[in-house]
Amino acid sequence: MAAKPFHLAWFTSFNPPSWRSPWGGVSGEEWMTGEYHLSMIKQMERAGFDFIMFEDSTMVSDAMGGTQELDLKHALHSPKLDPFPLLPMLARETEKIGLIATGSTSFYPPFILARVMATMDHLTGGRVGWNVVTSSEDVAAQNYGIDKLLPHDERYDMAEEHVGIVKKLWESWEPDAVVMDRETGHYADHTKVSPIHHEGTYFKVRGPLNMPAGPQGVLPICQAGGSPRGRDFAAKHANAIVVTQPIVSKMKEYREDIRARAEKFGRDPDDVKVLFHLSPVIGETEDEAWEQHHRLFGMEDPLAIEKVLAMTAAVTEIDFGKYDLDAPFPQDLTTNGHQSVLADLMERNKDKTLRESLSERAQLGPQVVGTPTSVADQMEALMEEVGGDGFLILAAPHTRRYIDAICSGVAPELQRRGLVRTEYPHATFKENLLAF
Amino acid sequence: MSADPFHLAWFAADGFGVKSWGKTFSGRGGQDWADPALWIDLAQALERARFDFIIIEDSSYMPDTYGGTSEAYLKTATATPKMDPSVLAPLMSHATKKIGIVPTMSVSEHHPYGLARTINTLDHMSQGRTGWNIVTGSNDNAAKNYGLDDWLEHDERYDMADEFFDLACRLWTSWEEDAVVLDEATGTWGDFTKVHTVDFQGTYFSSRGPLNAPQSPQGLPTFVQAGGSPRGKKFDARAANAIISGVEGGPAKMKAFRDDIRAQAALAGRSPDDVKVLYLISPIIAETDEEAWAKRRRQTEFAEAHPEIGLLHLSRHSRIDFSQWDLDEVIPEGTTTNGHRQQLEQCIGKTPRQILREGFGQGNFEIVGSPDTVAAQLDEAMEEVGGDGFLIASRDLNRRYISEIADGLVPALQRRGVVREEYSHDTFRDNLLAF
Repeated sequence: MAAKPFHLAWFTSFNPPSWRSPWGGVSGEEWMTGEYHLSMIKQMERAGFDFIMFEDSTMVSDAMGGTQELDLKHALHSPKLDPFPLLPMLARETEKIGLIATGSTSFYPPFILARVMATMDHLTGGRVGWNVVTSSEDVAAQNYGIDKLLPHDERYDMAEEHVGIVKKLWESWEPDAVVMDRETGHYADHTKVSPIHHEGTYFKVRGPLNMPAGPQGVLPICQAGGSPRGRDFAAKHANAIVVTQPIVSKMKEYREDIRARAEKFGRDPDDVKVLFHLSPVIGETEDEAWEQHHRLFGMEDPLAIEKVLAMTAAVTEIDFGKYDLDAPFPQDLTTNGHQSVLADLMERNKDKTLRESLSERAQLGPQVVGTPTSVADQMEALMEEVGGDGFLILAAPHTRRYIDAICSGVAPELQRRGLVRTEYPHATFKENLLAF
Repeated sequence: MSADPFHLAWFAADGFGVKSWGKTFSGRGGQDWADPALWIDLAQALERARFDFIIIEDSSYMPDTYGGTSEAYLKTATATPKMDPSVLAPLMSHATKKIGIVPTMSVSEHHPYGLARTINTLDHMSQGRTGWNIVTGSNDNAAKNYGLDDWLEHDERYDMADEFFDLACRLWTSWEEDAVVLDEATGTWGDFTKVHTVDFQGTYFSSRGPLNAPQSPQGLPTFVQAGGSPRGKKFDARAANAIISGVEGGPAKMKAFRDDIRAQAALAGRSPDDVKVLYLISPIIAETDEEAWAKRRRQTEFAEAHPEIGLLHLSRHSRIDFSQWDLDEVIPEGTTTNGHRQQLEQCIGKTPRQILREGFGQGNFEIVGSPDTVAAQLDEAMEEVGGDGFLIASRDLNRRYISEIADGLVPALQRRGVVREEYSHDTFRDNLLAF
C-alpha cells in the first residue's frame, strides 16, 4: 500500500545560511538582503511545497557558560532578522506558496500583531500564516523590559487570550463592510465595523481593527506544542503543527494524540496538519550520501562538536565540554534548567558515547540518507507508517545546492509518485493546506 | 538667480489605505487599494525623478472624533482603512535602488526593542535606504487599542520619545561595526567581544540588549519627524535628519520656522546642515496655467460641497469635534487639546468655512500652474526661505498625479538646476545630507 499524498514545508529563520559550507558562496555576507531566501522560495514553489516557515527569537543567548561567545561564533540564535518585512518581498515574486512568520504572544501587543498579519495577508493575496509562540527565554524578555516571563502554563493562558483577541480583531469588519457605492459616496458601511471592547486578564483592547481582514479572514495558525498544555493549545487553534521526533512510533503516537484532542475541541482532525522535522542527507549515490552524512554528523570536526555542545548547553545548562567524547554518556547529571530534557537525554543515550549522542542530537527528526530516489522511498515509508501529514524540511546544510537537491531531486520524485502536489488548486494558503 | 539645489520628498498622507476612489482618474483605486502595485509604481516614478524619500504616514485606530461616530470616516475612506507600513516598505525598496523609504512607527505603540529590530531589518534589506518617521500617539482611540485609556500629556509624550530614541539608538549600535568577522579558519561568524548589552533602565522603558542582529548599512536609520509645537521642535532639533513642516503663512513664516530649527540644532550640538526642513505642498499642475486654475476651482467647489471631508482630519488630529460648530461660526479662543497642537492653534479665530477655503492640509502655500510656472514658484520660494526642499503630499493619490509631478514638474525643476539629476551616494542619509 502506498502512502496518501502528504505536505512538504520548510523550516528556516531569517539568519545566515551555512556560511562555512563549501557551497556557502557569498551567503554569509549577503543573507541580510533577503535574496537568498528569495531564491529558496522560488525553488520551493516549483517543487510543490505548501509553505515556508520562519521561526524566530529575539536574543543573543549567553546560556552557554554565561557568555555570548559561542552563540555569536557559530551564529546560533543570533543574528536573526525580523521575518515580517521579508515575507511580503518573498510573496511578491511567487504566486501560490504559503508563508508563515513567527510572532510572540509575550512581546507583541495583540493589536499590532493582528494588524501586521492582516496587512501581510492583503499583500500576499491570502498566503500568510501565524506561528504562535509564547517565548521561553528570559534573556529575550529582558529586551522588552520584562524581567521574567510568566510560568509555562500561565504563558499559555496569556496566549489563549492573545489569540482570541487577534481573531476578534480580524472579525471586527464584517465581510460585506466595504460597499464602494459610487452613487452615495459610501466606501464602507460603519454599521458593519464594530469595536471589540475586550477586557481580560492580560489585555484590554478597544478595536475595531483599522482595516478589513485579508483574503483569508482568520489566518492559518501554526504551533509547536510538546507539553500537554501546548498540545491542547495546538489542537484547539492550529492548522499546522511542528514536531521534532526521531522515533517513528512516537511520531505516530503524537499525531494520533493531537487528532484526538482536536476532536475533543469539536474540530475536524483533518484541519490540523501534523508536520515532522526532517533533514534528509542527499548524495548522487548511496555511498556519497553516507559520506556526506559522516561529514555532517560524524562529530569529528571540533567546530561541529563545539556547536552541538553549545546548543545542548543552552537547554541543559551543562558544560559537556569537560567529558570524554568517547566514554559512555554520563548518567549522574543534575540541572536547574530543563530537567525533562536532561532526563530524556540520559535515558536515550545510556548505551551510547557522548560523541554518538551529539551526532544524534545534531540531526532533527528521523534519519533519512540516500539518493533522491531512496530518500523518497524512506519518506514514503515513514508517512505510510505514521499516517500523515507531511514533513518540515530543515536544510542540512543550508546552502543553495542543498535546496536544489531537495527541490530538483527529491520533490520531483515524490511528485512522480503522486505523493506531493504538482499544483495549487486554490487561491489561498489555508485552502491549499487543508485540501488533502 | 536661482535657489541653491534643494530636496524633494513625498509624504503619503493617510498612509497605506484607499488612496483614490470614485473619481475620474482613480482607476481601480477603490478595489485594489490593498495591492502594493500603486506604491511600487510611486517608488519607481519618484526614483526616476531623483526624489530623496517617501514617507508612508500611519495611525492605528478607527477615528470617530467628527460627530462622535466612525460613519463619515468610513463613508469617505478617510484615515481608515489603513494598513501597517512596515511590511509595505520592503516591497518599495526591493523595486528600487536609491530612494529612501520611510515607514511611520509610533513610540507610543511599539516597544523600543521591537521597533529597533524591525527598522534594522528594513535597513539591511534595503541596503541602507530606510528611514523612520517618528510619531507619538495623539488620538485616544489608538491608546485604547493598546490597553490604555489615553496617551500621556502632550509634552510628556515627547519626554517619552526622547527616552525611546536614546534606547533605540543604543540598540542600533550595540554591535560594533566590525563585529561580524566571518573567519573561516577559526569558524567564527561573530566576535562576541564586539557585541554589547545596553542594560538600559529609564523612566518609561528598560531593555537588556544587545540587538540580535548586526549594525545595518546606515547604522542608525535616517530620522524624520514632524513636530511643530515648541516641545516637538526641541525633539526635532535633537533627533531629526529631515523635518516635515506644515507651517502656514508662506515663505516668510517658512523661513522663520527653519531659522528656529537650525538655531536649536546648533544649540543641541549638531550641524544645522544635518537637519533638513522640508515643507508640505500639494501643487496643482496642468498643461497651462489656465487649466491648472480651472482644476483648482473644481477642487474648491468639491470641498465646499462636501465640507465634512475637510473637517474629518482636522477633528481626528486635533481631537476636537468640528461638527459642533456651524460652518460660519468662529472657533473660540481657549480651545485646547491633548492632540496635535500646532494644527488646532492655526484654526482658532477662523470659521470652519474659512479653514476649508484656505485649503487646510494643502500645505504651506498655494501652488498652481503649468510645470514651468510651478517650478518657478518653488525656486523663488526656496530662494527666500534658504532651503531645504519640499514634501509633496496629496490625499487623492493616483498615477496621474504621480506622473504630473515626476514627469512634469521635476524635469522643469531639473532644467532650472535646482534639484538633483543623479544620486551621488548609495545610502539614504548620505544622499540627503549631500547638499
